[in-house]
Amino acid sequence: MDATAEAEMQAQEGNQPNYMLVWAGLAVLTLLEVGVAFVGFSETVTVIILVGLAIWKALLVALYYMHLRFEPPRLVVMVIAPLPLAAILVLAALTDF
Amino acid sequence: MDRMTVPAGMDQAEVGIGVPNMKLGMWVFLLSEVMFFTALIGSYILLRSARPEAFAEPGEVLNVPLTAFNTFVLICSSVSMVKAFAAIEHGDQQGLKRWLLVTVGLGAFFLGVQGYEYFELASHGFVPVAEAYHAAGEPLYGATFYTLTGFHGAHVTLGVLAMIWITIRAFRGRYTQGSHAGVETMGLYWHFVDLVWIILFTIVYLI
Amino acid sequence: MATTVEHTPGQAHAEHHEPSFWRKYIFSTDHKIIGIQFLFMSLLFLLLGGLLALVIRWQLGWPSDPSMPMPGGSALPESMVNSGIILPEFYNSAVTMHGTIMIFFAIMPLLVGVFANYLIPLQIGAPDMAFPRLNMASFWTAFPAGLIMVAGFFVAGGHSAAGWTQYPPLSANPEYTGVYMGQTLWLVSMIILGFSSLMGAVNYITTVINMRAPGMTWFRMPLSVWALFITAILILLAVPVLTGALILLLFDSSLGTSFFLPEAGGEPLLWQHLFWFFGHPEVYILILPAMGFVSEIIASGSRKPIFGYPAMVLAIIAIAFLGWGVWGHHMFQSGMAFTLGAGFMATTMVIAVPSAIKTFNWMATMWRGDLHFHVPMMHAVAFVGMFVIGGLSGVFVASTAVDIFLHDTYFVVAHIHYVLFGGSLFAIFGAIIYWYPKMFGRLMSPTLGKIHFWLTLLFFNLTFFPMHFLGVNGMMRRIYDPTQYEFLQPLQGWNTFITISAILLVIAQLIFAFNFIWSLFRGEPAGPNPWRANSLEWTAPSPPPHGNFDATPVVYRGPYEYSSPLSDEDYLPQSVPPVDEAPGGPPAPDDPETGDGESSEPASRQEG
Repeated sequence: MDATAEAEMQAQEGNQPNYMLVWAGLAVLTLLEVGVAFVGFSETVTVIILVGLAIWKALLVALYYMHLRFEPPRLVVMVIAPLPLAAILVLAALTDF
Repeated sequence: MDRMTVPAGMDQAEVGIGVPNMKLGMWVFLLSEVMFFTALIGSYILLRSARPEAFAEPGEVLNVPLTAFNTFVLICSSVSMVKAFAAIEHGDQQGLKRWLLVTVGLGAFFLGVQGYEYFELASHGFVPVAEAYHAAGEPLYGATFYTLTGFHGAHVTLGVLAMIWITIRAFRGRYTQGSHAGVETMGLYWHFVDLVWIILFTIVYLI
Repeated sequence: MATTVEHTPGQAHAEHHEPSFWRKYIFSTDHKIIGIQFLFMSLLFLLLGGLLALVIRWQLGWPSDPSMPMPGGSALPESMVNSGIILPEFYNSAVTMHGTIMIFFAIMPLLVGVFANYLIPLQIGAPDMAFPRLNMASFWTAFPAGLIMVAGFFVAGGHSAAGWTQYPPLSANPEYTGVYMGQTLWLVSMIILGFSSLMGAVNYITTVINMRAPGMTWFRMPLSVWALFITAILILLAVPVLTGALILLLFDSSLGTSFFLPEAGGEPLLWQHLFWFFGHPEVYILILPAMGFVSEIIASGSRKPIFGYPAMVLAIIAIAFLGWGVWGHHMFQSGMAFTLGAGFMATTMVIAVPSAIKTFNWMATMWRGDLHFHVPMMHAVAFVGMFVIGGLSGVFVASTAVDIFLHDTYFVVAHIHYVLFGGSLFAIFGAIIYWYPKMFGRLMSPTLGKIHFWLTLLFFNLTFFPMHFLGVNGMMRRIYDPTQYEFLQPLQGWNTFITISAILLVIAQLIFAFNFIWSLFRGEPAGPNPWRANSLEWTAPSPPPHGNFDATPVVYRGPYEYSSPLSDEDYLPQSVPPVDEAPGGPPAPDDPETGDGESSEPASRQEG
């Protein structure tokens, strides 16, 4: 999509995200991830950085491509609600292994 | 469909969440998918924490550069999907068709690369069943790898099939600027599958 | 009065185009027909589950006694019952399938498949579900799942014998039970059933959120809708975890993987965590709707507003939320970390608080009410009593120290049956009788209903209360022949007594079955509102036509305005406009925006 159309879109929607910018961000973060995995930090540091980058990428997809940033707050709350449950399952069970 | 007449000014959406049924239904469905993948990914994390020696180092068995490229393919398919949605938001039928075709192509390409990856891994003895396993690590590694990536692949396959159907409808001119819930709902599913892959790629391939 | 259409039963023709028999009754997208389909299916499974219970009881009453051959045993193949003696393999299958069928194919579809389908659109004033075709698909995946489950009895090797909890390695390695095909069918059936539950849950949640009638704010919804809504959320988030675990187990048992098999590097405890992470919310899936129905029935039977409506709603939400953090109390004896066990014990104790809130609110609702002890009300009151017993025995086993002695004994069997039979099933009987006139246009016979109720209450207690004694004395659950242990031999009298009570209990259910079928044709015709209740379904004709309401109802108040000073009657339906308020101009439904609807988007009516 050319620049004029992009600007037009911005004008119409007000807060339409720049999808290509998000795409570039995702690509860079993926490269960064692969780099971090093989650069040889200690295991804990690697895991923390990688999980952080993965969450960042997931947030980019959810907020912009899935438009969560522009949805009514109640939908956002509904979407976030099961995440603690997922965390409880894995974390509580982890103490047992 | 039998629809009752609603008195003027008494629209049912008044009490709703402000999101159309189909979109809300898809979001609700995706929440259950979150829990499904939590069960699978959680199992992987727990098994790996219980028996770290059963799993090989990253890159030892799995082809990380190839999969990183495949991740990029899936990210591209996500942006093409959202471009299709943005196009029809502005009533651009041509853009919708073009971007949908690109998305179908990228999705199918992702599956092709994954098939090639499976074939390569299997030929080196990295298989899901215990008897034939002779790669680094233990059979548990193969079983978890194929289960996780396989269920993601199944979701991509379903997504590609649904997307083909959406594309056919787009070519028949079923979507307009005012009515394109199908494209939006399809997009939510597709981006979710992409999101799951982002997590899977990190956990299964890189950590 | 809000009632409009005078309805003659048996002429329930919708005013719209007449659909063919197949579209109307078999592949119907009407939520009411789908609910009734679930009703017939799950009542048949309830019967099957009851018969399996009798198989278990016969063996326990007269363990392998040649002088007491199992009645009808000669009709079964010799791989199950040989010269009147129930074989251990068949006993294990019967224990497994009694649990599986009762929980997944009887109680759960009765509570959710039947009543969520039937009640949600009617009680929120919607013409149908948000996705009617998905709803049809939900029944038509549950039904084949049921057929596959039943088919397991007829394959070589018999049906799954690993218990309804399917703990590996017993379930994952077919060599341990000798069950190959039956185990696979069990797993496949449960996975398919998971899809059915999922389709239902997506539908119920979307419908409740988006399809409520004007004025039906969140805090004007009947408690039955609240309970079913929260239950749907539990199903939505819990069942996929089970499905994931079942898939892994299926891979283990038929493809040769080893997720749960310790000898090949797997972790059997992983199954227990996944299963109970699903399994404990499942417990609340099986009780919350029952609580909702009981709230409806008690309010209308007491002619009083429900006591503490907001507290009731918050208690449902609290139970559902806390229910996610207690699964470990099923695993106290699995060798789990001490701190983890203590944490699960604490959360489990806390969950008794909202349960108690509900119990006291029901009693406060009845307090000084104008009590009408019709048959549904009797069942509802019995529910409260039995639920208290089941709840209290639950507190016993929630304590880690006590659980060391009671774990896997008949005490636990007694506990679960007080909650599931004494609780859920009494509420289900009450709910069926309460909404039967809405479903079929006729009332069930009250005389037969009362006989059935008293006999059931009596024999239920005679059957299950002594199980507490058995459990405290150490009798293990799922045991084939307790007399092989010397210390259990003195208890054999109790076992025989329980078996006789159980047989009489099942016979008493035949009265209900007869009443149900007889009343379809001979029951007293019911008007639209036989219980003089307030919620929206009673303003529609009995049975309601396709599309439910002539015009979308407008809701002006909560559903429990019984004995209101604003009305000459002792009830005030939700959709009757207030009369003398706001002089000059028609009264607006008071603030339908409360906590809702910031959007004016004319949405939510498309599908497909």
